Amino acid sequence: MRKLGIAILLVGVLFVSSWCFAAVNNPEWWQKAAEPYKGVVIRGISESTPPSKAMVEVAAPEFEKLTGIKVEFEVTSWDEMYNKSIQDLQSGAGIYDFIYVEQDIIYAYLAQKWLTNLNPFISNANITNPDFDLDDFTTFINYFKDAEGNIYGIPFEAFLKSYIYRTDLFNDPEIKAAFKAKYGYDLAVPTTWEQYTDIAKFFTEYGKEKGIELYGHVAQAKTHPCVAYEMCETIWPAWGVYNWGINLENMRASVDKGGTLNSDQAKKAFRWYVDMLQYAPPGVRTYTWDETGAVFGAGKIAQGIIYLENLGWIATDPSKSAVVGKIAVALPPTAPGVMDDAKAGKGYIGYYDGGALGIPHSAKNKEAAWLFIQWCMRKEWQGEFAKMATRVVRKSTFEDPLVKELDAQTGGYFTMLKDQGYLFAGAPALPMHRPLNEVYLKWISKAVAGEISPEDALDNLAKEVDQLMEDLGY
Amino acid sequence: MSGGKKTWKLFLVYLVCILIAVATLFPIYWMFVISARSRLEVFLGPRLIQTSFYSPNYYRPFVQDVYGRYLANSLLIASGNTLLVVCLAVLATYAFSRFRVPGSNNLFFWTITNRMAPPAVFIVPFFLMFNRLGLRDTQFGLILLYCIFNLPFAIWLLKGMMDGIPKELDEAALIDGCSLWGLLFHVIVPLAKPGIMVTAILNWIFAWNEYLFAAILTSVRSRTITTGLAEFVTVIGTNWGEMAAVSVVCLVPAIVFIGIAQKHIIAGLTFGAVKD
Amino acid sequence: MKENRRQVWGLIAPTLFLMIFIGVIPVIYVIYLSAFKYNVFAKVPFRYIGFNNFRKLVFDTDFLKSLRLGLTFVALCCGIELPLGLLIANLLTMNFKGKGIFRTIMTLPLAMAPISIGSIWVLITNPDFGPLPFLFRKIGVEYNMGINANQAFFTTVLVDIWHWTPFVVLTFMAGLTSLPNQPFEAALVDGANRWQTFRYVTIPLLKPVILTTLFIRVMDTFRIFDEVWMLTSGGPGTATRYVSIHLVRLVLQSMEYGYSSAMSLFLLYLTIIICFLLLTFISSSREAA
Repeated sequence: MRKLGIAILLVGVLFVSSWCFAAVNNPEWWQKAAEPYKGVVIRGISESTPPSKAMVEVAAPEFEKLTGIKVEFEVTSWDEMYNKSIQDLQSGAGIYDFIYVEQDIIYAYLAQKWLTNLNPFISNANITNPDFDLDDFTTFINYFKDAEGNIYGIPFEAFLKSYIYRTDLFNDPEIKAAFKAKYGYDLAVPTTWEQYTDIAKFFTEYGKEKGIELYGHVAQAKTHPCVAYEMCETIWPAWGVYNWGINLENMRASVDKGGTLNSDQAKKAFRWYVDMLQYAPPGVRTYTWDETGAVFGAGKIAQGIIYLENLGWIATDPSKSAVVGKIAVALPPTAPGVMDDAKAGKGYIGYYDGGALGIPHSAKNKEAAWLFIQWCMRKEWQGEFAKMATRVVRKSTFEDPLVKELDAQTGGYFTMLKDQGYLFAGAPALPMHRPLNEVYLKWISKAVAGEISPEDALDNLAKEVDQLMEDLGY
Repeated sequence: MSGGKKTWKLFLVYLVCILIAVATLFPIYWMFVISARSRLEVFLGPRLIQTSFYSPNYYRPFVQDVYGRYLANSLLIASGNTLLVVCLAVLATYAFSRFRVPGSNNLFFWTITNRMAPPAVFIVPFFLMFNRLGLRDTQFGLILLYCIFNLPFAIWLLKGMMDGIPKELDEAALIDGCSLWGLLFHVIVPLAKPGIMVTAILNWIFAWNEYLFAAILTSVRSRTITTGLAEFVTVIGTNWGEMAAVSVVCLVPAIVFIGIAQKHIIAGLTFGAVKD
Repeated sequence: MKENRRQVWGLIAPTLFLMIFIGVIPVIYVIYLSAFKYNVFAKVPFRYIGFNNFRKLVFDTDFLKSLRLGLTFVALCCGIELPLGLLIANLLTMNFKGKGIFRTIMTLPLAMAPISIGSIWVLITNPDFGPLPFLFRKIGVEYNMGINANQAFFTTVLVDIWHWTPFVVLTFMAGLTSLPNQPFEAALVDGANRWQTFRYVTIPLLKPVILTTLFIRVMDTFRIFDEVWMLTSGGPGTATRYVSIHLVRLVLQSMEYGYSSAMSLFLLYLTIIICFLLLTFISSSREAA
């Protein structure tokens, strides 16, 4: 009896302890590697979105408990995060030990030599977990390498910005009949922009008729970098205008200098974007990426293109979303020829967003920060991490049962990410990303506010972009 | 004027007073109301009365989050700067008042321009200089920096007071064998105390209220509460209740000091041009 | 005498030293930087370009627009605050019960942090739960500062009026109570009515105070930053991008340190000129009075 009792106790302890440290394969390795840094305080900053919050709320406290390294992880708005990071990097003050490096800003950071090369860390067996398995990361990690293949950031989030829609509305027989009667073809996920427009118009009018708050379109049209990003990352590529309209060989945007920013196609796409705002909720000109997610979760939108890092809670969390189980994803509609270009690798249809954690050149506790970064990206935790925040950075995560379950609940998002992610691309290599974005923002928001026509805005924008490039010496 | 006319005028006066008081106080009242509402309650609409009090709006930012630290920083910086400025100003104004220092008119003009120029014109040099000197994100850096606006102003305010203290007292004390420091500490300062208090209070309020430089020159350790307030309006959708709560706390010193030095605040803001 | 000299310098030295360090050196640094192209994102981050920054400044439409907006803002705010303040002050010169409390209430906005005032007005003008949009909706106007440029502009004017009219009222009240009685008695004897007294006696006597207040308000509204930054960040588009806001965005977002130094220098120069003119005007009017 006693032996049984002890056995049960032992099993119980093992069970409880393994549950305490959720998903750690080799706690002793971590404790040993962190010994020299016990009691150190590392400080990091990131954007206040689901993936970073997951790290702050779960990964950081567990890391602290296990290793004794204290983690002060700041999550704040995108604007503040960048301001603080760039100021720290520029001044070399060493306030932060690890920072958020978004996929589009890496080029600027690399050009300034602001980040620490991680290769020496990776080859140091004392501080790199044997299970780390760098090869397991998806191709997304290539965005964080320099020309020689040195790694400067480990991805912690990667997701697409693509089309999502309300399955309940699209499958409703009454709605389907009404749509067919109005437009002459069956209501289905749009593959062309004309179809998208029809559907948007239909649902907004439907909402008005029925007196419910329903709209067929949503956008992030606030006077904020987000509206410039929406055009550059999402709308223009799907209409066939790539790389922000800039010719990457001579760094010029005007059509007469080899760029595509004020081309007819770009103008057409921009005019479409501004006109479409009438089918979005009236507050659309105050929306950034967070409001678009929130309004989708509130059930007011029938279709739209959003950053799918929010897909997780929209599709599965009833405490935050009113449309659980009613959402599915699809590829965005494209202009003729764009899909073929993308499949052939000559273009792309949308944005592959994401970010990594990098270590500033001025960081004071680089090794401790490196341990924490590995901790967040360890294989065992990725499934859980994906459940908390819809992102996948490791190939093995696709096979995790939690992710497979999530895939079904989101209408196949992870399958799409795995199989068709190659059709999407990250931002082009533009080291002058920040000042460039300011210029785009200015002209795009002027047209969105109605101060100037979209066509004129683009002509002016192209001219100013060229001027800026020249000014900066390119 | 006849009795009827007078009461009519009195009525008008009270009416105007009440209107102005309501217009002035309503936004402040609204801030209090929002600070007492939870997120859900806030979005229920513009209801004017609030019966419940949602204390997490105050608790979370100050106890759980970093705003407590921001508050401490603000206190430290405002008090530190006031101490520094008052000490230096007393010495300098004594000198200006007792001895003829060349170019004091030009100095006065320079004072005014420092006070009147857009603060933004100073951010580039300070941003770069502070980085190089390692003063970035330190309370000490801000304490020094604020002198550029506050010290000339304090000198200007105190000079009038100093001039008002008769020189004969100096001479009397010196004849009695007092040293310069003794003279300052035991004679001048006690006499100038009201003026010094006013200067100190005004200085403290200016330092406490400052936003731009605090936002640009601090990052984590030395963030002040005014900067913290601006941080609330984020892309994620603002937590209005908490922002209102922090705003209320920001307001507290102002209310306290108004009670003490109301008249002098006006005088100070007009460079003493208008005294009550 | 010699000892006195040394004592004087001893007293002033710390102040002088500090002011040179933080008052003079930065200005010199700004003058130096304004001759360079200094942008971390450029191919050559730091490059001497002489007067080119200033040349660019003259033709910079964005900067000129921010100047225009700023000056319009100044004109509107001062044009409303001063007459309004004078009117109210005139009405309240008589001694009535509760005057003290009233004055205390009016002083409140003046001691508040401008950024706090901005945040309060953000709460009032929020389209979802603010009382102001609610009232506007009742009369059929859709009030949304984030979208409507004109509404945003007028909201900033409104906030400034709310913030500073009490100041104007209080200074004029103090000014009015300190006026001598004689001229008023003389006017009464001459049979002047209220308006004539006001126009020909009150205003000329009050001129120094009016001018001083005007001076302070003009300079303060020109350089406004905190409230507008919190309320609109210069938006929508560039509708409320006044001078300070434009400069700050240039430094923080575009990170153009050389060009922004040139702009800073220009604004500093402008400030000095305006100050000089207005102060001369004020002191000459004081002598006349």
